[in-house]
Amino acid sequence: MAEEKKKHKKRRTATKAAASIGPMVKAAIGGTIKAKEEGKKTAYSFIVCLYDEILRAMDIVPVWTENYAGVCGAKRDAERFLERAESLSFSRSLCTYALCGLGFDQWREELAEMPPDAPWGGQARPDMMLSSGQILCDPRNKWYQAAQQFMPDVPIHNVDLPYPFYEDDIHYSEVQDYYIKHIMEELRGLVAFLEKQTGTKMDYDRLRETVDLGERTWNLLHETYELRRAVPTPMGTGDAMNTMVPMAFMLGTQTAYDFYAELNKELKEKIARKEGVIENEKYRLLWGGGLPSWFALTDFNYFNSKGAVFPAETTYRMIQPIYNMYMPDTNDPIERLAWRWFGYWVYWYDQARKRPGSHPDVEWLIQYIEDYQIEGVVMHEAFSCRTWHLGLIWQLNQLAKIYKPIPVLMLGKDGSEKKSNRELPSLVLESDIIDITTYSEIDTRNRIDAFIETLESVKQSKTN
Amino acid sequence: MNKKNIDILSKVESYYSDYGQRARELKNEGKKIIGYACSLVPLEIITAAGCIPFRIRGDVHDPITKGDTNLETIACPFYRSCFDQSVKGKYDFLDGSVVAHGCDSMTRTYAVWQYTLDLSYSHFINLPHTLSKSSMEFFRAELNTFIKSLGRFTGKEISDDALAEAIGLYNENRDKVKALYEFRKPDPPTVSGTEITKILTVGSSLPVTEANNLFDKVLEELGQREESPFKKARRIMIDGACVDNIELVKLIEDLGANVVIDTLCNGTRDNLPHTETKGDPLSALADRYLDKINCPRTYRENKDQDLQKELESRFGDIGFYAREFNVDAAILYVYKYCDPFGFEVPARKSYFDSIKLPVLYLEDEYSTGTIGQLKTRIQAFLEMIQ
Repeated sequence: MAEEKKKHKKRRTATKAAASIGPMVKAAIGGTIKAKEEGKKTAYSFIVCLYDEILRAMDIVPVWTENYAGVCGAKRDAERFLERAESLSFSRSLCTYALCGLGFDQWREELAEMPPDAPWGGQARPDMMLSSGQILCDPRNKWYQAAQQFMPDVPIHNVDLPYPFYEDDIHYSEVQDYYIKHIMEELRGLVAFLEKQTGTKMDYDRLRETVDLGERTWNLLHETYELRRAVPTPMGTGDAMNTMVPMAFMLGTQTAYDFYAELNKELKEKIARKEGVIENEKYRLLWGGGLPSWFALTDFNYFNSKGAVFPAETTYRMIQPIYNMYMPDTNDPIERLAWRWFGYWVYWYDQARKRPGSHPDVEWLIQYIEDYQIEGVVMHEAFSCRTWHLGLIWQLNQLAKIYKPIPVLMLGKDGSEKKSNRELPSLVLESDIIDITTYSEIDTRNRIDAFIETLESVKQSKTN
Repeated sequence: MNKKNIDILSKVESYYSDYGQRARELKNEGKKIIGYACSLVPLEIITAAGCIPFRIRGDVHDPITKGDTNLETIACPFYRSCFDQSVKGKYDFLDGSVVAHGCDSMTRTYAVWQYTLDLSYSHFINLPHTLSKSSMEFFRAELNTFIKSLGRFTGKEISDDALAEAIGLYNENRDKVKALYEFRKPDPPTVSGTEITKILTVGSSLPVTEANNLFDKVLEELGQREESPFKKARRIMIDGACVDNIELVKLIEDLGANVVIDTLCNGTRDNLPHTETKGDPLSALADRYLDKINCPRTYRENKDQDLQKELESRFGDIGFYAREFNVDAAILYVYKYCDPFGFEVPARKSYFDSIKLPVLYLEDEYSTGTIGQLKTRIQAFLEMIQ
């Protein structure tokens, strides 16, 4: 295994910004251990839980447990933690991020020090754990509760963050008042918990500034990623799996904002030089769903080697431009956060209503297909994660049913050629986020090869 | 055993093996049938709207085929089977379906059900995960949205009186289930676990008034069993989620044990908690479905940071039933890919240890294909606890 780890090469990135992420994450993880030594309060945290700015404004250091599991996966060193979790009676079919974290935590608690050769120095023991009872992701509701078995002295606070589902007969405006009220109450409950844990009162002026910075970062990130519409595209999804880090793990910090300002500059320069991800861009693909296999990000380079690029992805693009959402005229940063959450989740609802048979998740795909001149859709089904991977097959089926953008000539029954339209080709890869035992490089690349052949065949049969 | 009561058990058998036959008849009479698959759907509201709630079952004997064309195989196998049966047309009498925010497998596939089955009505009920005051108010508002939505579908507002009446009927229903469970307390029990599974499963396919009548007749029949038809044997509890087919229970009983109690969704978890009849009915329903139903998807705060107290607050019902029904051992039965239960398996096992009850943990697919493996493990476990 150690030999295999050494042989695994770093992935080649298209942007300098993406290449800078590895050291940044390493420093952040090391920073949590250092923070703990310095007596700062640390909190186990999940990404996209709306509490980033609240933590930053209170100088609480978030320990991103999903991130650490991803790092273990990317370094191909998750197996020993997964096995340990399994030995504790956690099924291997559960979220492997959580299993990796639980295996790690139990080991650290048993040794009273970091497990041997812990990737990047290990994961700091937290002072508190912030669960998230959202409408998605059961593990975010259960993981820390399970971890408390090994750390009974570490308190948990669970923040409930619902959003309304898309219904035919109910517009979200009908329910938004009580959703916003509840989300605000939950955030205020979190603040009260954190104040108790830290013994410090929230400075709401500081929170206001932090939320403002977070909102500006959202807008900047959106504008920056929109630059990827250029042909050739200056950045692909492989890089985006790195550049999501500041948004997901550093929101509300100047570092995150500055990172995207730098990325924005870099992409504009590349566009001016007509410098794409690859020299000869042949196929433009959408990463339409699913978390990546962190141990196999080089698959993106394999796509590149076949002339395929990914100018857009829905995965980890967990932002929408704030200026396109409803935002009340308020000075209350908690209220702004609640509306941001609500606005993000209902972002595609109105547009979906206008297209028969559509749905917000499908509408999002269609918008990107059009904006980024997409020719095919790729998804990844990670077996251990129901949160992001259930419904993907249906989305592709529904997309094919209602959206056929490719003009082709079809042979009619009488032998004559008729103009018609067909759906975009699609590919579903199967593996996991960090469980490398589920992955076959040969099988994956065979599937990619076959998909590329399909793309080429569609290109040939396309009429103008 | 008189003829009348033989007839009632034959009726249970008939409704169980041809599941949905009564719902189909009612549909033909012009009733609206609303499907659901989770205990967190408030049946009182569906009944108050004049519709018939119908619990969708999977089928462990039928391999999942058609459902897999639209639903990933990483979903809960029980829920996949429910979907598979639905797309195969087994429940073609449904007018609508209601999905509660139970788990990711239900939540993340709501659109898949909505668009694939294309029923006249569908609704998603968003249950919070926490038990704060704000969560209760939010959930009450969600139930109110459901009431308005269902009222629009039926063309008739749901009145407070109708809601109060439905709450009364379901409380009555729960009293009868409790009375049925009383027959499991003697040693040997007067009723088998297999029989109870059939009776409760059938009950969830009927309008509540008919289920109440059926339970009354079954209770009368059981009351006439002066001697238990079963042998004294090890008394087993089944702890887990939804077991809506008899195969597991029957297997345990065929191996010589008596299944005398459960904490299953279609057992005590759903069928015993009452709804408060005083005060605001919607708040009472919110309290029942969010707090009183002890489902792992709802987070219960560990206020004392004391592991044992926390285990007691989360799993105290297990200990209560174990004592009440004089249980010798338990089988913790969890489906593969079930995150809410799966993440608490070690904690549940710790709790069983703390009350000194031997436990066998089984992770299973929803299929009779695994019966052989289950048999071996259960047999070994039963031998071990002799």
